[in-house]
Amino acid sequence: MEKSKVIFNSSLLIVLLLLATTTAFAQKVIRYDLYVKDTVVNFTGKNKRAIAVNGQIPMPTLVFTEGDTAEIYVHNQLKETTSLHWHGLFLPNKEDGVPNLTQMPIEPNTTHIYRFPIIQSGTHWYHSHSGLQEQIGMYGNLILLKKGSDPSFRKGIDDLPSIPIVLSEWTDLDPKNVHRMLHSGNDWASIKKNTTQSYAEAIKQGYFQVKLKNEWKRMLAMDVSDVYYDKILMNGRPNTDLIAIDDKLLKAGDKVRLRISNGGASSYFWLTYAGGKITVVASDGNDVTPIEVDRLIIAVSETYDIIVTIPAENTAFEFLATTEDRTNSASLFIGKGIKQLKSPQPRLKYFEGMKMMNGMMKMNGDLDDMGMQMSLNKMDMNVVMYPEITGALKKKNRDKKDDTKMTMKHSDRSENQYNSNALSDIITLNYALLKSTTKTTIPADSPIRELRFTLTGNMNRYVWSLDNKVISEADKILVKKGEYIKIILYNNSMMRHPMHLHGHDFRILNGQNDYAPLKNVIDIMPMETDTIVFNANVEGDWFFHCHILYHMMSGMGRVFTYENQAPNPLIPNPQLAQRKLFADDRKFHFMADNDFASNGNDGLAMFQNTRWSMGTEWRLGYNDMHGYETETHIGRYIGKMQWLMPFIGFDWRYRKMGIDEQEKNLFGQINKKDNRSAVSLGVVYTLPMLVNFQAEVYHDAIVRLSLTRKDIPISKRMRAGFMLNTDKEYMAELRYIINKNIGVRTHYDSDMGFGVGLSLNY
Amino acid sequence: MNLLLNTSTSLIFLFTVSVCTAQIKNAQTESVKIYGNCGMCETTIENAGNLKKSAQVDWNKDTKMATLTYDTSKTNRAEILKRIALAGYDSDQFLAPDDVYTKLPKCCQYDRVNKTATIQSEPKAPHAMEHHPTTHEKEQGTNQLKMVFDNYFSIKDALIQSDQKLASSGAEELRSTINAVKMEKLATDEHTVWMKVMRSLKANTDLIATSSSIEKQRQAFMILSSNMYDLMKVSQQTAPVYYQHCPMYNDGKGANWLSKENAIKNPYYGEKMLSCGKTTETIK
Repeated sequence: MEKSKVIFNSSLLIVLLLLATTTAFAQKVIRYDLYVKDTVVNFTGKNKRAIAVNGQIPMPTLVFTEGDTAEIYVHNQLKETTSLHWHGLFLPNKEDGVPNLTQMPIEPNTTHIYRFPIIQSGTHWYHSHSGLQEQIGMYGNLILLKKGSDPSFRKGIDDLPSIPIVLSEWTDLDPKNVHRMLHSGNDWASIKKNTTQSYAEAIKQGYFQVKLKNEWKRMLAMDVSDVYYDKILMNGRPNTDLIAIDDKLLKAGDKVRLRISNGGASSYFWLTYAGGKITVVASDGNDVTPIEVDRLIIAVSETYDIIVTIPAENTAFEFLATTEDRTNSASLFIGKGIKQLKSPQPRLKYFEGMKMMNGMMKMNGDLDDMGMQMSLNKMDMNVVMYPEITGALKKKNRDKKDDTKMTMKHSDRSENQYNSNALSDIITLNYALLKSTTKTTIPADSPIRELRFTLTGNMNRYVWSLDNKVISEADKILVKKGEYIKIILYNNSMMRHPMHLHGHDFRILNGQNDYAPLKNVIDIMPMETDTIVFNANVEGDWFFHCHILYHMMSGMGRVFTYENQAPNPLIPNPQLAQRKLFADDRKFHFMADNDFASNGNDGLAMFQNTRWSMGTEWRLGYNDMHGYETETHIGRYIGKMQWLMPFIGFDWRYRKMGIDEQEKNLFGQINKKDNRSAVSLGVVYTLPMLVNFQAEVYHDAIVRLSLTRKDIPISKRMRAGFMLNTDKEYMAELRYIINKNIGVRTHYDSDMGFGVGLSLNY
Repeated sequence: MNLLLNTSTSLIFLFTVSVCTAQIKNAQTESVKIYGNCGMCETTIENAGNLKKSAQVDWNKDTKMATLTYDTSKTNRAEILKRIALAGYDSDQFLAPDDVYTKLPKCCQYDRVNKTATIQSEPKAPHAMEHHPTTHEKEQGTNQLKMVFDNYFSIKDALIQSDQKLASSGAEELRSTINAVKMEKLATDEHTVWMKVMRSLKANTDLIATSSSIEKQRQAFMILSSNMYDLMKVSQQTAPVYYQHCPMYNDGKGANWLSKENAIKNPYYGEKMLSCGKTTETIK
C-alpha cells in the first residue's frame, strides 16, 4: 500500500515534470494527414477533373504556433507523382518540397513525411510544386500564429477575429492544354476575354496608327495576363458570406483581419472593399506598419494581411477580388444583412496600353524606360489603361487641340504621368509604402555579394528566362553560408513577374532604410529595377523563380546552392534528379492544324521547345493537277527575341501542270514541279509587321525566297494571311474562328485554286 | 364587334406575353421590390436585369415591384438583382455601390430606405470630452465648421474628377450644413468671419448646386475657396490643410483652393492638368 503510493507519487511527479517541460519549450508536435486524390468538380456546369486533398479544394487550412513542430503525412493516392511546398517557410532544405531538387517526387500510393520546426509566424500558404497540379486544386492556407508572449504581438491587430483566404482561379481547360496553347500562340483566350485588339476594333476606336505601329514593332496584342479563367475563387468559392468568425456574429464596428494568399496559378488580383479603406498590416508573413489604402494588387503567390471594418448595422459589405485583366471576380460579403456592393473595376483601355508599349519598345525588342528609373510598383505604366485613374475612353478628337496645348505648358505632368497615387484620389498600395515594424538592417561589415539578373522573355513564342537562359541552360549559383546576397533585378520583358525565393526572406530596398520590409516574393513590372538582399543562412538547393506557373514551367528561374554543402539524403542520384528537373523547360509542345478544303488539305504539324522547332507543312490536292507537297524544317531559334531561325529542310512535291504553270522562278532557275525531292539550308526571319521572310538554297543550287504572314487580326474572330515566293506561287486566306479548335477558312492558292473548308487546329 | 375587337386585342396581348416568356425555358416568375422613381429608372432597371434567353425584368414605377422571369437552369434571382444594383438600384437583397447611385440622374435618385447609416468611427472621443463642458462646447463649434469644410472638400474632389453632378449634390449638402450652423456656438473670431463671408458662401454654394455647367461651377468654386480660406484661418484645424495655387485659371490671373493633401490635384482643370499648381501655405 505504502509502496504503491510512492510509485504513484513519483509517476505523478514525472508527468508533472514532463508537462512543465513541454509548456516551457512548447515542443508540441502537430500532425496533419493529407490524402491527395483525384476528384471531379463542377464549377461551370461541366464535370472536370481536379485534385482534392482530404476531399476538399482548397487543401485544408494548416495552423501552427511558432515553436511547434510540424509533422505532415502526405498520402499520395493519385496515379501520378506529387509534392508539397511550404511557401515562405524557413525550413531544412530537404523539407522544402521541390521535386527533383530537394526530394524525389512522391510516388503514387506512397506516403511521404515532412517534419520541420516552426520558427516564424505569419500568413503563408502551401501548394504542389509538381507539374501543373497547383492549377487544379493543390493550394491551401498555412497559418503560423504568434505565441501570446511574443514581444512582437500587436494588440488590436494580432488579437482580431481573423480568417484565412486563399485566392485561386479555375479553368475548364486541362492546364496541360492551356500550357500547350500558350506555346503555340493560340489566341482563343483573348477572344474569350474580348481583348483581340484587331484592326477593326482599332479603327473603330481611332487607334489604327497605334495598331500599325505595334505590329511594325513586331508585337502581338498586349494583355496583362495570358490565360482565360471561368471562375475566380476565394477558399474554393466564387461567392461567400462571412456572417460570423469562431461562432461570434459580426456586427457594426467590428474589425476583421483577412489573411490573404494568392494561390492563383497566373492571376494577379485587385482587392477592394465596399465598406471603406483597407489597412495593410503584413505581407508575406512579415509585419508592416499599418497603412491605409483604397486598394491593392496582390501578385501571384504573395500574401497580405489586411484589416477591414464593418461600418454599418444590418449590412454585409462586399470584399472583391478582381483579376488584373478585370474579366472576372470573386466576392466575400462581410457582416450580416443586405449586401452592399462595390463597383466593379472598369474594363481596361487596351489600345492606350498598346500606345504606351509602342513608346517603350525599341526596334530590337529591348524596352526603353526613357530615364524614368522605375521601381517598386510606384509607377504603373498600366494606369494609362485604368479608366478610374485616367478617365473613361475618350471620344475621338474631343478636346485634342486643347490637350496638347495644356500638356506643353505643364511639362511637370510627365514625371507623374504613370504615378497612380499622384493622378487620382484612389490610394493604391506599392512596395515603397511597406515599412517593417522592426529594424531589418544588415550588420555592419558583413560580406555582401552582388548579382544582377535581367528578366527576359518573348511573348510571341512564350519563352521566359533570366538573362535569356532558362533553368536547364544555366548553372546553379554558388553562395557561401553566412554571406549576404544582393540581387538587382531588371525586367526587360513585356509582362510583370512575381519572383519568389525559397527558404529565405529578403529585404526590399525601398527607401525605408533600417525598416526595409521583408518579403519572399517581389513583383517586378516591365522596365522596373528592384534591389533585394538576403542572408544565405541555410544550406541546400533553393529555387528562385517566377511564380506564374506557366512561366516557371517554361524555365524562368535559377537555383541557389551552397559551397561544400552536405548531400541531400532524399536525392540519391543527383544526375537523374537534375535531368528530370530540366525536363520541364526542355519539353516539346505539339501543335497541328489542317484545313479540309474543297480544293485540298492545307496543314502543318510542329514540335517546338525553348530553342528548337521541328515542323512539317503540307498541301495535298485531291488530284494530280493540284499536286501534293510537303516541306519539313528543323531549326533553332537565335537571340532573345527569337526573330531568327536557321534551319535545314526537306521538300517533296508532285504536281502535273494544270492551272498556273510556273516552272521558272524569278531568278530564271528551272524548278520542276512534278516529283521533286530536295534538301535545303535556310533561315526564317521575322520582319516588322510580323512577316516571316524565308530564304533557302536547295542542294541543286535552286534558291527560293518567300514572305508569309499568318493570323492578321482583321476583327475579333477574323484572321487573314498571305504567302508569296520567288517560285511565283502565292496564297491568300481568310479564316473565321468558331472556337478554340475549329474555324472556317477560305483561300486562294496559285497551285490549287480557290477553296473553302473547315479548318481544325490542335 | 366591339367585343370581338376587345377579345382580339387581349388575345394579341396574351400572345405577346407568351412570346416574351416563351424564349425563356424552365421559366420561373416572381415579384420583388426594387427601389426607384421614374420612367428613366424603369429603362435602366430593365436593361440591367434582362439577359437574352435567360432573364426578363418588368418593373412598375408606381408599385416599385418588378416581375422577374428567368430560366432556373441558367440563372437565379440574386444574379439578376445584383446586376440591377450595380446599375444603381437597391433591392431588399443588394445595395447599389454609392458611386453608381450618385451618378444616377437627379430624377432617379430615390430614397435609399434600406441603407443603414454608418456608425461613428471614433466613439471614444465624445465620451472623453464629457468631463470638460467648456472644451465640449468649443469642440462643437469647430465641429459645425468641420462639417462645412468636409462638404467643401467633397465638392473639390468632385471637380477634380470633373463630375458636375457629384459637385452639385455636394453643394446641396453644403447648403444644408451652412443653414444648420448655429452662430451663437461659434468662437468669437469664427463668428466675425462667418458674418463676413456667409452671404457670398451661400450664393456660390447655390450656384454650384444649381448649375449644370462645370465651368460655371468652377468659377463659383473659386470664390467659395477664398471664403473658406478666411474661415479656416481662424478656425482650429485638427489636421493640416494646404492652400494651393493654380497660376493658369481665371485667364491667367490664377486661382486658389484648399486641400487636405499636400499632393496637387487641380480642381480647376481636373484630369487635363491634374498636377498643375503648388502649395503656397499650410494652415495648421
